[in-house]
Formats: sequence, structure tokens, C-alpha cells
Amino acid sequence: MVRRVAVIGGSAAGMGAAGAAKQADADAHVIVFTDQQDVAYSPCGIPYVHGREIDTFDRLILQGREYYQQLGYDIRYGTRVRSIDLGARRLGVEGGDDEPFDSLVVATGFEYERPAISGIDLEGIYYVRDIREAMRWDQILERTKVAAVVEAQPIGVEMATALAHRGIETHLVDPRPWAMADIADPDIMQPVEDSWREMGVKLHFNTRVEALLGSGSVRAVRTSAGDVPVDMVVMGTRKLPNNRLARQAGIKIGSTGGVIVDQHMATSASGVFAAGDCVEVPQGGTNIPVQGLSGSHAYAQGKVAGAGAVGRSRSYQPVYVPWGMVGGKWMIGGVSFGETIASALGVPFVTGVAEGISRARYYPDFKKIRVKLLAEPRTLRLIGAQLVGGEGIKERCDFLAMAARKGVTLEELAWMENVYSPAIGALNEPIALAAQNGLGNARG
Amino acid sequence: MPLFEWVRRNSEMYLLEAAQADLARRYLGRPGPVSRRGLQPLFWKRLFVPVYRRLPWRLRHAVILGMPGSHRRSWQRRGPPPAAAR
Repeated sequence: MVRRVAVIGGSAAGMGAAGAAKQADADAHVIVFTDQQDVAYSPCGIPYVHGREIDTFDRLILQGREYYQQLGYDIRYGTRVRSIDLGARRLGVEGGDDEPFDSLVVATGFEYERPAISGIDLEGIYYVRDIREAMRWDQILERTKVAAVVEAQPIGVEMATALAHRGIETHLVDPRPWAMADIADPDIMQPVEDSWREMGVKLHFNTRVEALLGSGSVRAVRTSAGDVPVDMVVMGTRKLPNNRLARQAGIKIGSTGGVIVDQHMATSASGVFAAGDCVEVPQGGTNIPVQGLSGSHAYAQGKVAGAGAVGRSRSYQPVYVPWGMVGGKWMIGGVSFGETIASALGVPFVTGVAEGISRARYYPDFKKIRVKLLAEPRTLRLIGAQLVGGEGIKERCDFLAMAARKGVTLEELAWMENVYSPAIGALNEPIALAAQNGLGNARG
Repeated sequence: MPLFEWVRRNSEMYLLEAAQADLARRYLGRPGPVSRRGLQPLFWKRLFVPVYRRLPWRLRHAVILGMPGSHRRSWQRRGPPPAAAR
């Protein structure tokens, strides 16, 4: 009998699940429901098209509809699922017949936090998410002179950089004292701030948006420090898990608002799996559940969920969260948590900080790199890191995430082997330098 | 909003704000986040955060892990146990 696997969501987690299900059971009837008109594109690339670093949205499309049709995927574009009936094993579909399923993958992603302020429903407010909407907004940006980015969460950081790159007068407004203050440390973001100022971005930190003003369309942002006239607003707020369908169906939700899953991405409901921004998974060092990770996390989780949906057992692991991105003219990144989150939680830690360079000093175009390592005080095992630099951040964050996972200590990092070749690596590896300083701090 | 989600959302927000205020002062010479007004912020900032900060990490960690969540389901580890749990 043909197994019917329904997947709600067509982004990284959903398509990862669909692909894994088909791969593990070629005969399975996999139905993907997406409220968008496209799947298999990279939403992460949207800010770079807006900023004119990538010339066209077409480059973000990974596969077209025909590809999935040929492979036998049943993708219902522009179709919203309105309910999950676990008892009857059916999905309620808007504008269509109920869809039965044998197993289900919930990959409903995230929603941007919407501030409870007046004017939030005005025209001219952009939530970055959907490639078709992005194409429409890119036309609007052509005639935009002044824009405000509300909050400097990761998408706000990327969009502020993109808009400034495009020559739009950009105001970044955030109630916190520095950008990405819930994730990154102030010393890591300082070079980004400085580069934004060079790019002409107007920074309004410790400033709350109180209202969006306008009649029909937004014309100004009222902040706690005064009004800023704008042509449009980009919402750079937090991503919250879109758990409405799961919650309504009685699937258990955790304290982060993410769906509770186990290592197989199985939820509390039999035959129902979940993956991506709508779930929570434990952080490896503390076991504390976290939600809202990267596209690579979502895709990997989706593959585990999809395999499970056709009865193949795969396991996901607690996460150490390597992350990285571009802010202003700098690359930033980290692993697990930095000083801000560790201090907020009250996790005991020692730090080691160093500044190094990415290539030999005498080689053209070497870039500075600042590395901050956090270690558990008693064992000196690595528990977190934050980095900022001109290049080489992603590779170091990947390495440090694996080091944290394996329980590597500052002692081992301090005397690590490293590549030295003038064009690609300096004699002294910044990670090793930071670890040496950390050892010094730990010994008092 | 269910209780545990409400506790997590608010405790996280106010603990982060307190940490951001400390680090902003130390690293940037700036004040901390814009204050929220009202009884609820007062409770979290003036009572919860100071009490939380006085508790030993083991106790805080135990309370956090006592809340419902994915961490209480089965998770295979291919590496050492959590460093911060010790």
C-alpha cells in the first residue's frame, strides 16, 4: 500500500523532509503544501539581491517546478492548510478537499514578531520572506529615498547593510544598546557599527519605535527620540515559531514556543514529525531548548523528519549552533553563546580574547580577526565563541562548533596545529591566541 | 500564552536586558536598553532578575531544565555530556 506523507511547509525543512522521504521510500506519495508560489529557493539570498550584490532573483532559485514534477513530487503551491485532524488523519485545506495522510511533517517555519504599535497595518511595511514579495519590494526600493529598519535582529542587520549598499538613506532603530544584542556581544558588533556609519547608516540604539505614522502608507516612524520621516519600513524583528496548526491539533509545545521533538524529530503525536523554525531542540552544552536556528539546521532536521515519516530511523543531535553572517563591511559569527547570553543565563565561564590576522602580514589584503572564546571554568572545555573579521569567520565557527561538541579544551586549542601559508593563513592562528589568553585568565 | 512559554519569554527578555545593560556600560560606555514601564516590568527587573542572579548556577539550571521541552525527550549524544550541567 502506498504511504501518504503530507508535509506542511515548502522551505528548507519542508523540502528537506520531502526529499528524504522520497529517497527512503520511492513509492511514497509525498504531498507538500506551501502557501507560497515557489519552493526550492534561497530566502537567505534576498537581502543580497536588494543590496545589488547578486544581480537577479533568478539566481536564488535552486530548482523549478518542472524538476519536482519529473521526480514525482506532489507540491500544492499557494495552498494553505487550515487544520490538522490527528484522529481522522486528515488535513483541512483552504479552498480544497481534506487531505488524508499516513504520516505528517510539520515544517511551518516562523513568523516575524509584530510590535503592538499603532500603524502596524499601514502599507509600506516590508517583512522579508517570500521571493515573489521580494521582487515586488525591489521595485519599490527603486524609488525609495529613506527607509527605516525596525529592530536590528539578524534580518534587520542584513537589510540595513543592503539598503545602505544600495544608496538608500537607512535608519536602524533598536531598543537595545547595540545591534543583535540578543545574540552577539558588543565588542563583536563594534566594527560593524563603525562600518555602518562609514556607509551612512543612521543608528538609533536604545530607541524604541512607538508608532508608525501615515495615512494609508507609512510616512514616518515615531520613536522614543523623535519622528523619522521615511518612505518605507523594513521589519527586522525576531522570528517566532509558527506553531498555530500544531498547537490547535494538540501537539505539545515547549517553553520557547517551538514544537517539542525528540532526536528523530518525532512530536508528541504518533506518526507526526516536525522540523525547522517551528521546533525547539536542545543546545548541546546546557541542554536548554533553543529555537530559530539557521537554514542549514532546518534542512538537516527536515531530512531526519522525512526519513522518520516513511519509517526509517535517523537521529539528530543537540546543537552547538555555529552561525555567521555579514554586517556592514564585516563578517560576524559564533558558536553556542557569547558573553551576553552566558551572562544573562548565569552560566559560569572564563573568556579568552585575541586579535589576529587572516593571512601573513606582508601578504596583500590580510584582514583582522577578533576571536573571543568562552570556556567552562573548571574543565576549560569550550562552551561558546564569538568572532568578527574581514574573512575566515565561517570556517572558524564550523571548527569551533565541532570543538565544543567534542569537549575540546582551551589547552588543546592553545597549542593546536594550524595551516600557515602566506596567502591563506597567518603564522599565529587567532583561535590559538585567544585560547592562550583564556588559559592566562583562568589561571588568574 | 501558556505559563511556561510566558515564563521563558519574560525571564529571557529581562535577563538579557540586565546583561545588555552591564555589557553596554563595560564595552561601549553606553546605557542599557530602553526601559519598559509598568508593574510587570517592575516585578521582572526589580525582583526576578536580582533573585535569579543570586541563585547558584546548578539551581537555576535545574529549574530551567524542569520546564517542559524537547530536552526532556530522548536525545542521543555522540560526545561528552553538557559542560555547563556540571
